[in-house]
Amino acid sequence: MKKILIVDDEQDIVESLKFVLEVSGYTCYTAFNGEDGLRLAKEIMPDLIILDVMMPKINGYKISRLLKYDNKYKDIPIIMVTARSQLEDKMIGEETGVNEYITKPFELDQIVAKAEKYLKDTD
Amino acid sequence: MTKFLLISGDKEKEKVVKDVFSSDEVLVSVEETVIFDSLEVEEPDIVILDGDTDSLDFKSLCRKIKQYPVITLLILGEKKYNKDVTHNINLFIKAPIDKKLLSATIDSALRTKQSLLKMTKTNQELARSLYQLNVMYNTSSQLAGSLDKDRLLQIMNEGIEKSLNFELSCTLTFRSEREPVLIIKSLYKISDRLLEALKLRAILSYKSLLADPPYEIKIGNLKIEKDIKHNIKEFDFSVLRFDNMFAPIVHNDEFYGFTEIYREKPFSTEDATVFQTLVQQVTIPLQSAAFTQELKATNRKLQKLERLKSEFISIVSHELRTPLTAIKNAMDIILSGKAGDMSENIEKFVSMGKRNAVRLSGIINDLLDISKIEAGKMDFKFEITKIEPVIEYVKNNLTVMAKEKGLNIKYTPMENSIEIYADSNRLEQVLTNLVSNAIKFTPSGDIEISTKVVNARELHYDQCFEGDIKKLQGNYLQVCVEDKGIGIERKDLNHVFDKFAQIENSLSRKVGGSGLGLPIARQLMESHNGAIWCDSEINKGSKFYFVLPIANDKNNFNTITKQLIQKAKANLSTVAIIKIKSTNKVMDNLIHEENLLNKTYMENSLVEKEGKITTLSMAVFGGDAPSAEFLKKKISTITEQKKNVYGECDIMFSYDIEGEGHEKDSYS
Repeated sequence: MKKILIVDDEQDIVESLKFVLEVSGYTCYTAFNGEDGLRLAKEIMPDLIILDVMMPKINGYKISRLLKYDNKYKDIPIIMVTARSQLEDKMIGEETGVNEYITKPFELDQIVAKAEKYLKDTD
Repeated sequence: MTKFLLISGDKEKEKVVKDVFSSDEVLVSVEETVIFDSLEVEEPDIVILDGDTDSLDFKSLCRKIKQYPVITLLILGEKKYNKDVTHNINLFIKAPIDKKLLSATIDSALRTKQSLLKMTKTNQELARSLYQLNVMYNTSSQLAGSLDKDRLLQIMNEGIEKSLNFELSCTLTFRSEREPVLIIKSLYKISDRLLEALKLRAILSYKSLLADPPYEIKIGNLKIEKDIKHNIKEFDFSVLRFDNMFAPIVHNDEFYGFTEIYREKPFSTEDATVFQTLVQQVTIPLQSAAFTQELKATNRKLQKLERLKSEFISIVSHELRTPLTAIKNAMDIILSGKAGDMSENIEKFVSMGKRNAVRLSGIINDLLDISKIEAGKMDFKFEITKIEPVIEYVKNNLTVMAKEKGLNIKYTPMENSIEIYADSNRLEQVLTNLVSNAIKFTPSGDIEISTKVVNARELHYDQCFEGDIKKLQGNYLQVCVEDKGIGIERKDLNHVFDKFAQIENSLSRKVGGSGLGLPIARQLMESHNGAIWCDSEINKGSKFYFVLPIANDKNNFNTITKQLIQKAKANLSTVAIIKIKSTNKVMDNLIHEENLLNKTYMENSLVEKEGKITTLSMAVFGGDAPSAEFLKKKISTITEQKKNVYGECDIMFSYDIEGEGHEKDSYS
């Protein structure tokens, strides 16, 4: 079963994402801060990471950069989720190697569709 | 008493003259040296020359006498006189002397001389007054050109100095509330004890001038600024004995200081008037300077507040969105059935929750948008694009919503598609707003979207939209959204685009919304250099129009330029193509406020906005085309002046005569 790591400091958002993704048949791992997220990512080698930007300790951009510049993890697709929508944020996202950029508020179906897209690619 | 100098050796004549002018002083001589000495020392009023005096060279004597302000009378004798002599003589009398005639002649000459003297004096006075007036005029025009307190006082002092030639002036003023300054202008150096005396005098004057002095001035905190003209001499207490004049600088109970001047030569009443006038003149500009200072400070404060406001809104919206996302997610899960079955009632109420969460999220987005636009932080991606895909997209998106109310959205594309210069995402936002409004306010009937090319001069609109529309020039693409809805009353038309202004007696309360959709649309259209307006008839329906600049207009500009170049070449005048790029609103300012370019130029200009960069391109022609130097200077002055209003900005400037790439320049 495909593994998805969800990293977001908003527990309720993580919960709802986890629910819909599990219903769709994926195994979900969750982390509520950047540090745990990075550790888990390296530990479980997920097939997809859903990553929030604004988080305590290590923010999403940093995690993304750390993973994307590491040969071992650079192929893991990352979907960045954030309330920010300014162009420059998108540019930072692109620079750090994020595969997809979704602004809050998002539709759950939207996330599921994106997840399916990337997990199909890895088959 | 009149002084006579008689040049004659004839005792007879001497007796006659002395007889006639017995009550006056008569000097007599025929010695050249004595004559010259008396002319120099005695300053006679009248010189009487005896034509029969042989011992003298009349020619050189007359020339000499001419240098003095005397009246010369020649007693004609037997001799013949050449012109060199007669030219220098004022009066003639024949020998033998008729006493009565001599007396009358001299009398009349003296009277003439007196009136002449009077006239000369009046003339001098007039010249002096004219000069003073001129100084006052110059000072006044200089004062009008400055808003700097120190500079204003300097101009005033210079004016007083020029018109009154004082030896010393003391001006008391305040740099800030706590910094009194005594500006001393002096012809010579000032002794230490004189300086102390002047300081003391200034403080005493200050205290006596104001019943309740707002700030305390002490010897210790009074700063001195000296402007000494010559260092060769030093003034001491003697200056205090000079004639002096004093004037407070006060306007409408506002005290700015005072000025006192000292002059060895006593002042006349005219001098006093000039002095008071000059001091009076400075007060109004000083008040303006104070206001400007205040305005600048307030402006800075406002800018800060504005920034805080938009920061606040963006933080708050972020904080609101996060929980809202969680709420929506939760309800989505329930509604999807993935969390288990639900009763019809549960579905109904969860749907209600979802619908309102969506609405709330829309309101938050609108708030965020308007605050971004107002703070100038909205990001635009302008490009050459077409309207058709945008309309199709919006039509498809809203068809479901329309169908729910039994309405149709009709749209027939134009035959010839036109390219526009716009941000498609923002257009989508504007059009979505207009069409969904139309759906909301239409009980039955169709909604029609139409497009056409229009010229700014042929637009029809209600008077209340003139402000937005009259700025337009040239050709535009017009989009119209027409409904058969409830309509808007004429008196409410101009409030339609106001923030939070929903029109009371309409359906708007029932249908909801943030009240920000149309204001946002209006701001977005403004950023596009377009316009939006509406026309409506109550219970018949509304028409909402917006216009967008046509991309081809850029080509139009080039065509215009080419035509201009040809025209100019034919008239042997020049064409300049100027492109100015700037990173902030300075450009708009240039165009609308500063009269940098008159209308002729503006008609041949094009403003492009790309993100934060505004480019003004224009073609100017004819002898009165502004020079590159002039424009650059003007732009940098305006940029400097408006720094506090619009912030720092980079300006790229290129000036190209006849399109041959003459000069390129950029500065910040």
